[in-house]
Amino acid sequence: MSDLTFLKLPKIRDGYKNIWLRNFLHFKKTFLVSFFWVILEPLMYLGAIGYGLGSYIQTINGQSYVDFFFPGLLASTSMMVPFFESTYNNYTKLTFQKIYNHMMLTRLDTYEIITGELLWSTFKGFFGIVGLVFIASFFGLVSGWEIILVILLLTLNSWIFSGIAMSITSWAKNYDSFIYATSGFLIPLTLISGIYFPISQMPVLLQITTYIFPLAHTIELCRMILTEQWHWVGYFHLLYLLIAAYVFFALALMRITKKLIN
Amino acid sequence: MSLDTAIEAKNVVKKYNDFTALNGVSLEIKKGECVGLLGPNEAGKSTLMKLMYCQSLLTEGELYVLGLNVKKNFREIKSKIGVVPQENMLDEEFTLLENLKLFARYQQMDPATIEEKIFYLLRLFKLEEFANHQIGQLSGGTQRRLCIARALIHSPDLLFLDEPTTGLDPQSRLWLWNFVKQMKEMAGTILMTTHYIEEAEELCDRVAIIDHGKILSIDSPHNLINSQIGNEVVEFHSNSVDLNYYINRLKDNKFDYQVYHNMVLVFIKPNQDSRVLLEIIKSEKVTLRKPTLNDVFLKLAGYNLRDV
Repeated sequence: MSDLTFLKLPKIRDGYKNIWLRNFLHFKKTFLVSFFWVILEPLMYLGAIGYGLGSYIQTINGQSYVDFFFPGLLASTSMMVPFFESTYNNYTKLTFQKIYNHMMLTRLDTYEIITGELLWSTFKGFFGIVGLVFIASFFGLVSGWEIILVILLLTLNSWIFSGIAMSITSWAKNYDSFIYATSGFLIPLTLISGIYFPISQMPVLLQITTYIFPLAHTIELCRMILTEQWHWVGYFHLLYLLIAAYVFFALALMRITKKLIN
Repeated sequence: MSLDTAIEAKNVVKKYNDFTALNGVSLEIKKGECVGLLGPNEAGKSTLMKLMYCQSLLTEGELYVLGLNVKKNFREIKSKIGVVPQENMLDEEFTLLENLKLFARYQQMDPATIEEKIFYLLRLFKLEEFANHQIGQLSGGTQRRLCIARALIHSPDLLFLDEPTTGLDPQSRLWLWNFVKQMKEMAGTILMTTHYIEEAEELCDRVAIIDHGKILSIDSPHNLINSQIGNEVVEFHSNSVDLNYYINRLKDNKFDYQVYHNMVLVFIKPNQDSRVLLEIIKSEKVTLRKPTLNDVFLKLAGYNLRDV
């Protein structure tokens, strides 16, 4: 019989809370910088693309353009924020600052450290989403209770991309590696995942490609929830996201552990 | 393994790909002992220590720290040991005080005892006036003291010091030596690596000389000097023409010696007489002196430069 132990949830002790706390205390010191780029940048996109460019478009899939664009913008924020946190920042902690090695001098094990870091990146994504939703509510973009479900879903998306980014960090040779990851993976992904226009507009090959990655699934689900047009395909999207959440978490645990103890 | 054993290593091997960092190290350290690991760069000192404080994985052999297996009980081991690594590894985003508080958190100490313990350590290590300084503002000596305070925050049973005084000014070094002596009186077990031979001689009950991943010799500094070198050392310089002649004379008289360029060290065993030697050698630069651990070290590890 094949070995299925990898399907078991890894055992994580409660020390991860203190890793999260360390990041939170640091965040409090640099709150304004974080606020600026986590929330203001997507707001600029909302203005420029949603309202600016969107004013030339009558309707898209029966919605106003800005209503169509908003869930995509939320999803891209929930991806970008944890991605940058877990690549540039965590790479610095792993290599130059040796923060993880410093934590390893205590009773903390690698799983606690990595889990704490992923939860922090996820929290930062959550922080960005909630901030954006709050401001967008003044523009009348948020209409009902469904937004709570959407925020939960986007937090799951943040968790997935934290795991992906942390795994990339484990392979990175220097900061330039992240330029490849950003320009070669992240930015193209935002262009083909249905943020700016429906996926059905693209050639079939690109449509298939985009569903390999989690972002398109998240956006589809968000749109289904916000337009209250639930379809059974939604369960598959959700299943995909749950599997991705587990797989990239396990990958990050394995990869970074190898970096810390060899 | 008896109850008073702090560390026991049996045939420890550590390989990184094709490089063998440790090649069968066996060692037993008793509780309350201060043991020094002495060796040139890349000899395997830090690797051995890293295995003991569980930041590296054993390739072969057995290693027990405080009676616990490093392969299984690393979390429990890490909760009972204090580590001062070679690099400071302080969290530069925070102040000195915050560093200690966070470290206490990571160690999952009882929050009620943290404040008191930190206050005590700040006083002990003369760090009070720097408590609210950022790490970058602290001098090298202060950072090192903070590292030791950090390692002691959870009252560990065993302390690892990896090159604790490298790069420190003489005052800081002297302060640290005094501190280690106090620790020894409190029956703390200490394992340290160092490049400074006088440091090992001054502080360590036993010294292990390591090179090429093996322990060449381990004993008290006094015994090492007696067994490896003898009672006295005669040091003389000679021109290269006469050198061979002298060396042959030394061989004839069964003297133990070591040559480095134009300098010759002759090790005088208890049953030998240094006056005989002084009659043989007609060099203008002859010194008769007491042997030191340095002689032992250079005899065992040789004069070759490493990592160049």
